[in-house]
Amino acid sequence: MTPTPDLTLCDIEPIRVPGAIQSHGRMLVLDGATLALRAWSANWAGEGLQAEAAARALAALDALDAQVLRATPADGSAVQVGSLRSGDRVQDCWAHRNATQLIVECEPQAGPRRHEAPIYTVARDFLPRLQAARTLQALAQLAACELQRLTGFGRSLVYRFDEDGHGEVLGEALEPGYDSYLGLHFPAADIPKQARALYLANRFRLIPDATYQPVPLLAAADGPAVHEIDLSQAFLRSVSPVHLEYMRNMGTLASLSVSIVVDGRLWGLASCHDHAPRLLDADMRAACTHLGQLLSMQVEALQANAEVAARLELRHWTLQLVSQLADSDASLRRILHEPALLLRMARATGAAVVLDEQVWTTGETPPQEALLELAGWIAGMGTEVYESAQIAAHYPPAAAWQPTAAGVLAISISQVHRHVLLWFRPEVVQTVTWAGDPRKPSSPTDAAGRIHPRRSFERWAEQIGGRCLPWSAAETAAVAELRQALIGIVLRRAEELAAMASELGRANKELEAFSYTVSHDLRAPMRHIAGYVDLVMDAEGAVLSERAHRYMHHVKDAAAFAGQLVDALLDFSRMGRTALNLKRVDTDSLVQGLVREITRHERKRQIEWHVEAGLPALTADPLLLQVAVRNLIGNAVKYSRDRSPAVVHVRAVRNAQGQGLEVQDNGVGFQMQYVGKLFNVFQRLHQSEEFEGTGIGLANVKRIVERHGGSVWARGEPGQGATFGFVLPGSGQNAQAIPSPAIPSGHA
Amino acid sequence: MLKPILLVEDDLRDQELTLLALERSQLANDVVVMRDGAAALDYLRREGEYASRQEGNPAVILLDLKLPKVNGLEVLEAVRNTPALRSVPVVMLTSSQEEADLLRSYELGVNAYVVKPVEFKQFVSSIADLGMFWAVLNEPPPGSLRASRRHD
Repeated sequence: MTPTPDLTLCDIEPIRVPGAIQSHGRMLVLDGATLALRAWSANWAGEGLQAEAAARALAALDALDAQVLRATPADGSAVQVGSLRSGDRVQDCWAHRNATQLIVECEPQAGPRRHEAPIYTVARDFLPRLQAARTLQALAQLAACELQRLTGFGRSLVYRFDEDGHGEVLGEALEPGYDSYLGLHFPAADIPKQARALYLANRFRLIPDATYQPVPLLAAADGPAVHEIDLSQAFLRSVSPVHLEYMRNMGTLASLSVSIVVDGRLWGLASCHDHAPRLLDADMRAACTHLGQLLSMQVEALQANAEVAARLELRHWTLQLVSQLADSDASLRRILHEPALLLRMARATGAAVVLDEQVWTTGETPPQEALLELAGWIAGMGTEVYESAQIAAHYPPAAAWQPTAAGVLAISISQVHRHVLLWFRPEVVQTVTWAGDPRKPSSPTDAAGRIHPRRSFERWAEQIGGRCLPWSAAETAAVAELRQALIGIVLRRAEELAAMASELGRANKELEAFSYTVSHDLRAPMRHIAGYVDLVMDAEGAVLSERAHRYMHHVKDAAAFAGQLVDALLDFSRMGRTALNLKRVDTDSLVQGLVREITRHERKRQIEWHVEAGLPALTADPLLLQVAVRNLIGNAVKYSRDRSPAVVHVRAVRNAQGQGLEVQDNGVGFQMQYVGKLFNVFQRLHQSEEFEGTGIGLANVKRIVERHGGSVWARGEPGQGATFGFVLPGSGQNAQAIPSPAIPSGHA
Repeated sequence: MLKPILLVEDDLRDQELTLLALERSQLANDVVVMRDGAAALDYLRREGEYASRQEGNPAVILLDLKLPKVNGLEVLEAVRNTPALRSVPVVMLTSSQEEADLLRSYELGVNAYVVKPVEFKQFVSSIADLGMFWAVLNEPPPGSLRASRRHD
């Protein structure tokens, strides 16, 4: 495909140094320091009379007051430096300086003087009306009308440039016979980049007659090359032939444009067209320039006000969001408890919170997996606030969910983690009405290779998709502020957690001290009771009655049992306190070892063991896991003691939560309605005469498994046996489910 | 004459039961009883009230962990840090099966750590075993009283 030439080629046209002027005036180019004549326009004399022109230019220079010329300010602004009279024709002369030269421009004096300069009416009548306008459209409309009234041009437009440089007509005043451009869009290529730069420097341009023949500048023998004379501030500067052609295509013979500069940027243009040539005198040009300045200031004020109002409103919502978050446990997920507020503050239709691997959403958002990936991509950029009205252009996977989320605004809360808040806006399919098809610069080059601007100004409508309404600066600022607030809350939360952890640590120390005392002081009396009963029986056994013997046995048993209870309780509390020492534990050999040990202890019993091959290797504390598995197998053997043979199955369990074991017996079983109580401390479902034990075994199993982040379960039927099992999560996911001194897990 | 066994125990009932247990294990050693750690250290160092006692270290110290004033672990530490006492066997005799105590005791160089069983018969047999091992069977390390006496 051959590159399509377009009007951006104009970007390289020499518009500042055309080496020629428009034909309605004359020019002298003087040395900035010596005021010596360096160049002049050829039209000081008739065509072909170059020597004559030079002589007349010199004469004109002589007629001007050198003192006045010398006083021309250095800042480039133009001042009137007198008039030239030849016969009954008077020319007014203006001078301004470029970097090295003094440029004198002479134009025929306008007709009879008005009794009041037009600039006064602008200040007196127009300004108050401008100040009363509340919208950009109203401002634009007022300015267009005023400009038309002042200049008498047939069409007056005020238009604004968008971010991409496309112009949109906001205000218009027309005389009959002129086409309306209101609401049309001009593609950015219509005004080349360097013209925009020039418009910023020189805020008023007038082309009285687009059919003019450019008048070349002629340089003195030792003068500068005429194409090096900077005419960017000269009102007579000859404009690009492309522009003249553009004007003629528009049916415009005279045009003027006034720059609207807001915050130092070319915000837009006020521009007038006329089917016939039109010359404006200096007073009128001054009035138009002034009008442009007033309009610029007013637009700036209006935008600043709108911006402030928008920011205030967003700030209000941000604060509301933050305050309700600050009252909660401050986890980021909570921000979704006020979905309306969250959406409103970014004027979004969907929002999501991504915390590492977890996602919560409200409104219309891309699917979860897509959100995780997008959040990862955004977090990976390391920017605090990310915004795009056209995410698919930067992140191709986004094309899949473009209709719901064409644009994304996101804040990254953590440098380290994938903690991202995202807002989404749907695709807005806009219909843009171009003044002509911007994609088809008609016959961009002719046979001579010259550029022609488009010849058609027929309306051409285009659908623009793939983007959402742009995120405003106020919205971006609001979410940035929200981000700061969230970080503040998160930090405060972290401090609270740290305080809580130290409080927990203290409580834990107290608990340790308590159980230490219990272990020491509670066991002693049990021992004493048992000891002295033994002594009594030893010494006085012979004289005690049968009944007294029985009582003494009860006392002894009770003391021994109380001792066991104390020991079991202490084991249980220790189970929750000791640090986990995680290792790979081969449950195959663990179970085999326990089976051998139990078989040895229960020689009199008939136990049929079914231990599945290939029991899993688990990541666990070997000692604690052994306690848990011993409990489960021990229980199976204990509660099947009435059976002959007792049948005990040990099986592997593998599911989504992880891996583990399951132990099944054919014993007394239990009623499922009590399953919830089974794992509680001291909870027994059988008479203690039937089955000995402290009632802590299963509570221990549960506590051990939960400390590894796993879960336990039980199934049973009275008389039908019971099945107990557990799974531990895979390595790396172990959570301290019973926190003790650790900071409780969870996201803040 | 056999060296005495030093029993440091504040609880009178435990004292009585331990003494009974020692008696039943038929050890011939005398048993010196102290009711707190400070007194035990005075005795061992021959200071204060015991400044005038006869020279010589006990065969074994049976030390309760939880004691008034100076606790068992502190007594153990002091014994191990005193050159003249360093080699005396020390047995922790305690109600506590706290892991931390056990670890600390071994760190400080305890010779044995016995959690007193609730059952008196077991208690007797534990004490007997201990007594036999430390008071009778164990050849005292060089530098202890009996060894030095040979040079008299």
